Amino acid sequence: MSMVVANGLTHRFGPEIALDSVDLVLDTGEHMAVLGDNGAGKTTLLRILATALRPTSGRLEIAGLDAFRERRRLRHYIGYVAHNPGLYPALSAAENLEFFCDLQDVSRSRVAEALETLGLASVAHRRASLLSRGMQQRLAIARAILHEPRLLIFDEPDASLDADAADVLGHVMKGRTAVIATHDHALANRLCPRTLVLRHGRSLGTATHLRVVR
Amino acid sequence: MNPFRAAIAVARKDLVSEWRTREMVPALAQFVVLALLIGNFGFQIDSRNAPSIAPGILWLALVFAGLIAFGRTFAAEREQSSLEAMLMTPASPVAIFAGKALAASVLLILCEVVLLPALSLFFGTPFSGDLVVAVLLATIGMASLGCLFAAIVARVRARELLLPLLTLPLWIPFIVAGGQAVQSAMGLPGSYDQAIGLLIDFDILFVVLTSLAARFVLDE
Repeated sequence: MSMVVANGLTHRFGPEIALDSVDLVLDTGEHMAVLGDNGAGKTTLLRILATALRPTSGRLEIAGLDAFRERRRLRHYIGYVAHNPGLYPALSAAENLEFFCDLQDVSRSRVAEALETLGLASVAHRRASLLSRGMQQRLAIARAILHEPRLLIFDEPDASLDADAADVLGHVMKGRTAVIATHDHALANRLCPRTLVLRHGRSLGTATHLRVVR
Repeated sequence: MNPFRAAIAVARKDLVSEWRTREMVPALAQFVVLALLIGNFGFQIDSRNAPSIAPGILWLALVFAGLIAFGRTFAAEREQSSLEAMLMTPASPVAIFAGKALAASVLLILCEVVLLPALSLFFGTPFSGDLVVAVLLATIGMASLGCLFAAIVARVRARELLLPLLTLPLWIPFIVAGGQAVQSAMGLPGSYDQAIGLLIDFDILFVVLTSLAARFVLDE
């Protein structure tokens, strides 16, 4: 069964076309990397898939539901980590997650589990502003899995993570459908059997076990 | 998803953040005291003209303190990119807006805790329950409008300029009715009950309108 079906996704920022007629089908449990140079449209595509941005045109279905008509319902299914962690610096790691438990309507007992999964249990009571950039990124990933989403969308999650990034990401992606935008081709090959390459907002097609040809 | 739980969570988060950083309330309290001091030195105050001058100074201080307090509510979220994370949850945008407005109102009320006794001290005007009720009722409507426009302008660069331009004209009803209620509470002629009734009407009208509009402002 398909988790994501996108047809002709196009997005314009004023006169600029950020994404140009991208088609995409992603099966349940499938992992896909999105590669492309800066400005290729990776973040725009991911924000549309996360239902954070409405495309100028095109159609998107997630788990068989129209992504924009059923947007609020779908947010129970989607975990999104943006390039910027977007944490509350004055709150501790645990308090950041507790706040999002309240907004996600899930039990706060999920916090300890998510912190443990991301290796943050020892800094649970440390303020987010005092965490390293890598730990902040891990905390953002912990926030994205609080509600046990079926679809994970990561925008360059490895940018600040340390050497074991692939292990961390592989662990949280297990059993879920995932889309990752990254510049790291080795990471993409290791985590995702399938890769979509974007250039100037256009899809250059998908490939398995990518060989990078510039 | 319980919208009250979400709204309370948002308000609590903002208030805990403020308590720990103390970025806003001490600065606002200093601002309102300085505004009263300037008003006190700028006018020749005596026991006869104090009740007619003090309400004007009170509303000037409140309006500018409000612009600062409400302006920060969404600007800080945008700066730390946390608003999108919050909007990506199933929580309703109206609940998120209500929580932000509630927290901003509490911060402004904390300023009023300094402002109202200081007003009595500097201007020798009576401090009464009627005065407190009038100011609190105006705060509710001003907070809902201020937070809505703060959410609208948070994504533009000239937000500090745009917020007063958009907000001040719509705050005029609160300043007119609130000014009349405060003058009556200070012993000047005028119907206190009529002014309070108007303030309640404006509160209901603007809380409902801003809640309806918040969905469209925050949804994308």
